[in-house]
Amino acid sequence: MDIVVITEGDTFGARIVQMFENVIHQGHGSLALVFLIGVIFGGIIQYTRVDKFEKIAGFAMLKDTIVPKMLFLAVGIASIGLYFMIEAGWAHYHIKPIILQGLIVGGALFGISMAILGKCPGTGPVSIAEGRIDVLVGAIGGLFGGLVFTIYYEDFFKPLMGESLGKLILPGFFPGDEHIVVLIFGIVVSLISIIIPKVELFDEADLSRLPDDARPDKK
Amino acid sequence: MTNRLPWWMGGILMAGLLLLTFSVFGADRPIGASTYVPYFADIVFDLDAEKYPYLKEIANAGAWEGVMLMGALFGGFVTSVFLTKSFRLSLIPSGWKKYKNNSIVSRLIWSFVAGFMMIIGARLAGGCTSGHFMSGMSQLAISSMVFGTVVMIALVITGRFFYNVKEK
Repeated sequence: MDIVVITEGDTFGARIVQMFENVIHQGHGSLALVFLIGVIFGGIIQYTRVDKFEKIAGFAMLKDTIVPKMLFLAVGIASIGLYFMIEAGWAHYHIKPIILQGLIVGGALFGISMAILGKCPGTGPVSIAEGRIDVLVGAIGGLFGGLVFTIYYEDFFKPLMGESLGKLILPGFFPGDEHIVVLIFGIVVSLISIIIPKVELFDEADLSRLPDDARPDKK
Repeated sequence: MTNRLPWWMGGILMAGLLLLTFSVFGADRPIGASTYVPYFADIVFDLDAEKYPYLKEIANAGAWEGVMLMGALFGGFVTSVFLTKSFRLSLIPSGWKKYKNNSIVSRLIWSFVAGFMMIIGARLAGGCTSGHFMSGMSQLAISSMVFGTVVMIALVITGRFFYNVKEK
């Protein structure tokens, strides 16, 4: 039996194959590596439980601080590591432009939705993989959001975003002291992650499935 | 075997993954997780790329994140079944029942609306928690600091007024 892979045409399957082909040819890691990065990404999010409604909506209610603690620590460590990797030529900058209106309107919409859904676009799929149907419904909503954004991009969303003010980074404002600025930023952000008081909101439905001595709320 | 990693371990591992992804030995690009959504919308609804130039802008990033997302679904599923043992089908989170209401219909409608707004917001800002907050702030990008600040404020204000925080 021959296995026929259709790489041309516009059937649903062909468009999926074209996605793989694109990744193979765009030079940002092999297909296997990109998939592996995803596996580790999903594994970390799942294993730290930050995909849970109680963690993200819990943070919005200020009843859980695991998400900001983890985010700030990751940024603190990565900022120092990344800066010196770029200096050594092992990495490059990929700065997003300052499109002020887009950032403010988009950030506000994003923050409101994140509080209501209790997920973001990275943690959502991990939550779906854990069997959360309500998040799947949210993802379908997101798919329509992506559709509307694509269709009305030129006419509505692009003008709404405004002009780019450039791709600035913080050390750029301190010529000569870039290293110090990066070090201070990394250390301060890491310290913030440690200083934020640890508060946790647990999900009884998850905890009840664990043996008593494994329950984090009873330690 | 513990059923969850402490936050500091998660932070260190996530920093390691960011650095691996950024490095020329890895993918030489940041981690992002919102461009794949309009990319998937194109796959599902079969849009005409000639008519919608946005599709060309996001073709590479969308495909890359699409494959990464498939990995994340797989990694999340395996971890939930074997490590956290939290895999179960559910329609409404316990926290929603406790601080909002018991209605599945209400949860599903709000999920759909929030999912819709979330992607519009992320695409307007050019990134999400992964692309802006983690990858962008790691590069000390001003745009990502603006985004992070606005998101945190909107998140906490919404949390305060959308849920019955005072109850219990």
